[in-house]
Amino acid sequence: MSEERRQVELIREAFEQEFGRFADLSVDGLAIDDAEALLRDVGELKIKHTGKKSAIAGAMKLIGKVAPEDRGTFGQFVQSIEKDIAAKIESIESELSGVIAAAKIERERLDVTIPGRRPKTGHLHLITILRQKIEDIFVSMGYAIEDDREIETDYYNFDALNISEGHPARESQDTFYTTDGFALRSQTSTVQIRAMERRGVPIRIIAPGKVFRRDTPDMTHVPMFHQIEGLCVDKGITMAHLKGTVTEWLKRLFGEDTITRFRPSYFPFTEPSAEFDFSCFKCHGSGVFEGERCRPCKGSGWIELGGSGMVHPNVLRECGVDPTVYSGFAFGFGLERMCALMYSLDDIRLMFDNDVRFLEQFK
Amino acid sequence: MNISYNWLKDLIDIDLSADELGKKLTSVGLAVEGIHLHGDDLVLDIDLTSNRPDCLSHLGIAREIGVIENIAVKALTSTLASQAADDGLVTIECPEICHRFTARIIKNVNIGPSPKWLVDRLEALGERSINNVADITNYVMHELGQPMHSFDLDKLAGGRIVVRKARAGEGITTLDEVERKIDDSMVVVCDAEKPAALGGIMGGLDSSITDGTSNVLLEVACFERKNIRTTSRKLNLATEASYRFERGVDIENLETASNRATELICELAGGEAGEFIDVYPTRREKIEVRSTDISAAVRRLTGLNVAHEESVRILNSLGITAVDGSATQAFAGPSWRHDIHIEEDLVEEVARHAGYHKIASELPPAFGAGEYQPSESREKRLRQTLVDAGFNEALSYSFIDTRNDGVFQTIPDLVVESLNEQYVTLKDSVIDGAVRMRPTILPGLLDAIRLNLNHQRRDIKLFEIGKVFAATAGVGALPNEQKAFSLVMTGGQTYEGRATSSRQLDFYDAKGAVEGALDSAGAREITFSTAEVTHLRHGQTASILLNGVEIGYLGRLNDEIAGAYKFKQPVYVAELNLTLALTSNAERVTYEPLAKFPGVSRDVSFVVDRKVQFASIEAIIRKPEYEMCQSVVFVDIYEGKGLKEHERSITVRYLYRSDERTLVEEEVEALHNEIIEATEKELGISTRF
Repeated sequence: MSEERRQVELIREAFEQEFGRFADLSVDGLAIDDAEALLRDVGELKIKHTGKKSAIAGAMKLIGKVAPEDRGTFGQFVQSIEKDIAAKIESIESELSGVIAAAKIERERLDVTIPGRRPKTGHLHLITILRQKIEDIFVSMGYAIEDDREIETDYYNFDALNISEGHPARESQDTFYTTDGFALRSQTSTVQIRAMERRGVPIRIIAPGKVFRRDTPDMTHVPMFHQIEGLCVDKGITMAHLKGTVTEWLKRLFGEDTITRFRPSYFPFTEPSAEFDFSCFKCHGSGVFEGERCRPCKGSGWIELGGSGMVHPNVLRECGVDPTVYSGFAFGFGLERMCALMYSLDDIRLMFDNDVRFLEQFK
Repeated sequence: MNISYNWLKDLIDIDLSADELGKKLTSVGLAVEGIHLHGDDLVLDIDLTSNRPDCLSHLGIAREIGVIENIAVKALTSTLASQAADDGLVTIECPEICHRFTARIIKNVNIGPSPKWLVDRLEALGERSINNVADITNYVMHELGQPMHSFDLDKLAGGRIVVRKARAGEGITTLDEVERKIDDSMVVVCDAEKPAALGGIMGGLDSSITDGTSNVLLEVACFERKNIRTTSRKLNLATEASYRFERGVDIENLETASNRATELICELAGGEAGEFIDVYPTRREKIEVRSTDISAAVRRLTGLNVAHEESVRILNSLGITAVDGSATQAFAGPSWRHDIHIEEDLVEEVARHAGYHKIASELPPAFGAGEYQPSESREKRLRQTLVDAGFNEALSYSFIDTRNDGVFQTIPDLVVESLNEQYVTLKDSVIDGAVRMRPTILPGLLDAIRLNLNHQRRDIKLFEIGKVFAATAGVGALPNEQKAFSLVMTGGQTYEGRATSSRQLDFYDAKGAVEGALDSAGAREITFSTAEVTHLRHGQTASILLNGVEIGYLGRLNDEIAGAYKFKQPVYVAELNLTLALTSNAERVTYEPLAKFPGVSRDVSFVVDRKVQFASIEAIIRKPEYEMCQSVVFVDIYEGKGLKEHERSITVRYLYRSDERTLVEEEVEALHNEIIEATEKELGISTRF
């Protein structure tokens, strides 16, 4: 048996010699190309030293020459060597494959902080954003959105609104006129008249739109701006409903803790008239924000927003509505002013410059 | 208007601080905007509404305080005889304008500086001291609200006054040393020969008080509001006097004011007061306001419960009193109020003094469902689609420069071509040259492109939705207003957070944006056809058609306009009539059964003359015998090497499918060849490979 054993030992030695370069191989830090070359070489060793045609598989044929009582031992011996060879090859193979796989993963590692591939999106104008928010609130409160002409007759812009000849609001210094004698509407109240003519009463409408005043553009004035007009006419409508409605929508826009204040005022198309203020959305009425004088409300805690009142009986009559049967409230306010306050804009002309750096700031 | 706290205390006993006073006045509608210190005085800055000229004086403010605090205003007493005389010194020739004119001659006055207290009072209000007599008239105006004027009697020819309308060709040099042309609508206070003052507005220079004046004629008068306003506007001359007269002064307060000024002049400048001359041809018309139950009226309009007695107390203390012997219960406002005409006016008076803060806050009873504008949901989707596609929404002024006239072609259905004057023009503007109501949004958007290019932005996409305007035929007809939608784009396709654009935008990006926007707005039957449009480059211009009707234009801005704006990169623009687009019926979608059998596709490249369009290739397959060819889709276009100058290669993909069976290779091949042959023959083109 010793001869056969020696032959097997020779086969192992031959393998060990060829495998030697892999035996002490440290795969750490191997370049991917080198590892792949080594893996190919290991593959060749595998073909040569394992499988049915390998020398060690052939050694099993020697078993016939071994004494019958030693055959068991010899067989185990050959098998152990065969296993050992296979294990060694497999081990290095898997080590190399592992290194290659890891290197490949590493090679394809991405920088996840690079911006995603997203086509640039645009932005709605902040006036549209605010208008849509306010429209949504009022529609949910049962109001219809109305709109109408921007170039009007004096009748709709003034007369029907009880703005008599000579009222300061009617002075041509404030109103743009066309060469044909039409007025660019100076307030959205014109829609009150058109909507009542069209829809009759009871009526609940909101009319957002452009209005025009002959102001030379500066930090706080623009010759064209946006107003939202509200009108509610029905039997039994009082100023309490005006207060409730204005307070409600301001709460929905600025939060539940918003409070409102109504001050007597004068508008030709309402009687009694009131200006309305609301508690500052920034300092919540304290006048102080982060230890400093609050900017939007100038430290007063109140933001003056717009005008309101009970629709003047002359206006109702002009629209064919009997003021002894119906009453109603109306209110109006400017969107630019509101935007300027909400976003701390110190120059409202920015809203009409269409500077992309400005437009892109609002969502 | 400035009101002195100390001065108020002369007129009414108050122990309120200036701050408390400010809050109370604001709460009744006299908005105190600020309080500032002046020496040992506090000055309240009050923003008055135009209906309350009665509050343009310390007396007026004191009256309101009196109502708030329920105390009486101190009465001014006078030792001067109240007997009025009319010795022919004053003649009013236009009683419809000069309703009342009083005069008093004060002789032997010494014109000189005013005492310190008077200077201080005026300075507290921001007024400059001139001399004692001028200061006194100014002082009394601020105290009692009555504008007045002092003449140098010796400079009045004939020593008498005629109030009349100016005559053609007359002029006057006013106190501000401006020579003014006057016309026969204006009222002048004349001496025996010529105008000596612009009635109710400003005195004349020639008859004014000087250091040498010794005899004064003090005018305290009342003029018609509208006439003063018109004259003031015509002459572009607004004064403290005209401001008060055009809003309304208290015609019954003239004598008190005259007496007050006379006594102060006698006291501070010496002099002997003559008789009080009063010519009062036009009495104030007293307006009776019917109100059978003021408490109920207050409740009906404000929801406030104010007892009848309290309501009447408030009205009475405001000087609004029940009309004697009126069976129907009526009230009338005092001579200083010009804004009490109807019961609602009474309601406001009661409500503001009862306190607006006491009005409850409640929602009106439920009414019905709210509703958006019919087109709003479509417009909202259109906006969102554009925003998603990278467009920023712009807003530009509705007035544009006249130099844009004819440079841009306006959207269909706007301009009436046959009119001489097609546009709407403003009489004047506050922005240089911008008198045209825009018939197109594009100039505004192109200005925006230029602005942004100047800020080193190269990739810009903007859109705007807004009204455009044009004249209509017919006398007195309101102009045509249509809603337009415009977009402009230039530069490259950009990504969020990435520095460079992936490729340059071209015509098809603009077209895609228009298609996407209209599709999301429910306008689905959109087609495009070659067109020629004033502001667009030939060969890169399309008209946009909805159901075959032109609604707008799309294309590359022509070189001439681009050059004028100094654009160095192509700019693509589109503009369409959104009113038309949004009123079209949105097509209702119907379900189509899903294909059961696979289809076969074939790509073909045709070499075509540039004038041959994809649409023509597409049209061929619509013949009934080609039914199995379900679609032809654009793949790619190629121009350049291997092709002649006027040629391009267009690659398209044909899709064949049957709903009954799987097609076999041979039948597809046969039909495909037939279609290609027909296409080649009908369009005079050939396949490339």
